[in-house]
Amino acid sequence: MSGVGGSGGARRLGAVASLAAALAAPAGAREPRITATLESEAAVGLRDGRAQKLEAVLEPELEWRVGADLELTAVGRLRGDAFDRLEPGSPAQETTASPTRRVFWGDRVDAELRELYADARLGRASLRVGKQQIVWGEADGLKVLDVVNPQSFREFILDEFEDSRIPLWSARLEVPVGPADLTLVWIPDPTVHELPEPDALFAFTSERLLPPRLPGHAVALEDLDRPSAAVSDSDAGARLHGFVGGFDLSLAYLWQVDDRPVFRARRGTSPFGPTLFFTPTYERTHRVGGTFANAVGDFTFRGEAVWSSDLFLPTEDPSDADLAAETSELGLVLGLDWYGLRDGLVSLQVFQSWLLREVSGLLRDRLDTTLTLFVQRRLWNDRMALEGMWLHNLNDADGLVRPRVSYQLGGDVTVWLGFDVFYGRARGLFGQFDARDRAVVGMRWGF
Amino acid sequence: MGLLGRSAAALATLLLLVVAAPAQDVAGADAAAADDLPDGAEVARRINARDEGESSRRRVRMELHDKGGGVRERDSVFLRRFFGDEKRTAIFFLAPTTVKDTAFLTWDHPEAGREDDQWLYLPALRRVRRISAADRGDYFLGTDLTYEDIKNETKVASADYRWTTAGRDEVEGHPCVVVEAVPVDERIGRELGYSKVRLWVDEEVWMVRRADYWDREGRRLKTSHLSDIRKVDGIWTPHRIEVRHLQSGHRTVFLVSDVDYASAIDEEVFTERGLRRGPP
Repeated sequence: MSGVGGSGGARRLGAVASLAAALAAPAGAREPRITATLESEAAVGLRDGRAQKLEAVLEPELEWRVGADLELTAVGRLRGDAFDRLEPGSPAQETTASPTRRVFWGDRVDAELRELYADARLGRASLRVGKQQIVWGEADGLKVLDVVNPQSFREFILDEFEDSRIPLWSARLEVPVGPADLTLVWIPDPTVHELPEPDALFAFTSERLLPPRLPGHAVALEDLDRPSAAVSDSDAGARLHGFVGGFDLSLAYLWQVDDRPVFRARRGTSPFGPTLFFTPTYERTHRVGGTFANAVGDFTFRGEAVWSSDLFLPTEDPSDADLAAETSELGLVLGLDWYGLRDGLVSLQVFQSWLLREVSGLLRDRLDTTLTLFVQRRLWNDRMALEGMWLHNLNDADGLVRPRVSYQLGGDVTVWLGFDVFYGRARGLFGQFDARDRAVVGMRWGF
Repeated sequence: MGLLGRSAAALATLLLLVVAAPAQDVAGADAAAADDLPDGAEVARRINARDEGESSRRRVRMELHDKGGGVRERDSVFLRRFFGDEKRTAIFFLAPTTVKDTAFLTWDHPEAGREDDQWLYLPALRRVRRISAADRGDYFLGTDLTYEDIKNETKVASADYRWTTAGRDEVEGHPCVVVEAVPVDERIGRELGYSKVRLWVDEEVWMVRRADYWDREGRRLKTSHLSDIRKVDGIWTPHRIEVRHLQSGHRTVFLVSDVDYASAIDEEVFTERGLRRGPP
């Protein structure tokens, strides 16, 4: 090769070229991959015929394997709603830590960095650091152990959990321990549940969720007192998961600030007379729980339970100084899935919340039970799915029925039509939205 | 008997021998051919004895054709590894976005009477769901292949059927022995969804090139073709699998590429954690 000193020069040139290639592209690296979904959904009230929402959501996703042991993922969301009834105006986002907040343009469009994390392999262990969703639990429709991340109740529980769950800045380390996996989580993000404002379409009106009342007293809501220190107010937890004797088993511990507000009352006076001034506060709790799942014949059975050491509930007992009673709670769910229906599924679940300490003046029963039934039938090689979800609370005799039909068009487009029908007493968690029954039609395009 | 009579008798005998000889040859040939056909159970044994490698990784592009001409395409990675006699298979969907990151895992236990363990990771739920393995006759995620078909790959569930040889035929110019398989009992037939299966087995590679299936009512149900069979890392591998569902008009094509039997696959891939992480 002219100019490079013959065969020795050619070898040097080859070595330089190889080194340059290695530096430019680490072993195992792949080109970044960008995909996205565009979803549009409209909802119309069945009682009043008014549009509840006309929403368009664009979610781009970037996946980039930087090297054999490092991968980056970013998920964004751009959302617009023509009717702005779910969260009127620009929400103050007081329940959300600053780094986790959305950006609003006007009242109807918001953008959010949903997730941004790096996955690193450390030998047999793996570390995920960044804004992410951490999902524990086996339940569908409602949550028992799936409490690591807070939730947005912008649309009550009608949104998919993946969309309503609020990703948090956190670190998750998974380490193999014998036949099991140990997961350690640290969450220095003090974001809590995002609750609807009083003028929102799905604002809470159930007495079970609002500050308690006392006769002859007005009510005033003060600024919320939310933990805000990233480190001292951080959550931490651990989960051991394994497959033993045919059972999927897990044990979990979480030391966290409960994402549900505690309305602590201060008695005073206002121009309206005797007044209860409520400050939403957030209390820390220990949570210990576990899950199991197994399959026998056409059935799978599963369950989860979690004990929470400190739960504060509103009480109307006037002798309670701040009208917030402390107890502990055992929450559990048992589920039975039947796959005997060809290309279908029937799933029955029983949820229970049991307050372990007797407390007077509570606005809920000590033992609260909700049943759910899910039925799905897939047709035409999974092009069409007919499904229905029914949730029913035995204590308040209220519930929610959600029939749906979805169809996969050519390409990567899915359309659906469904209904969300609430029923029951206004004091119930579902019955409070009895006037919000709606028809829903939507489309999702993936590209 | 005079000379003519003896001559006539001799001629008759000669004619009889001439006429009888070919018949005797045909009968002998048939007898020889019948003797040449392997026993049905032996065919099943030979199919299952074929080397399929300790582990494998392959890219599979699925085309789902409905009778109206619409096509849905899915890109996936199939990984399989033996742990002793236990076979574990993991399937990861890469595209399109409707199925991206969906993953399926099955542990096929060799012990008779022990059900397989199966899991499904649904990215929308962000968790792995334990599912029943009893419905092996259910169609796999919208394709015309059942969970049993996916699990068996190119082998056969010999214990589930009674096997008889039916003759010989050709598939795309490849000589095959034809075998009929009938489920051993009502329960098995109900689980599998078949009353009968006819297989064309290439004796050179001991692989099924064609299979016809009958449903529980005895009606033609579907037919499958394996083609572009060639060696990869010394192992016979079909690169095209087409299944036509004769009753629905739907058709599934699996296009297999990037087959690798040589590279080791980490055991972690075949765990719940591996499902969530995605393919290596």
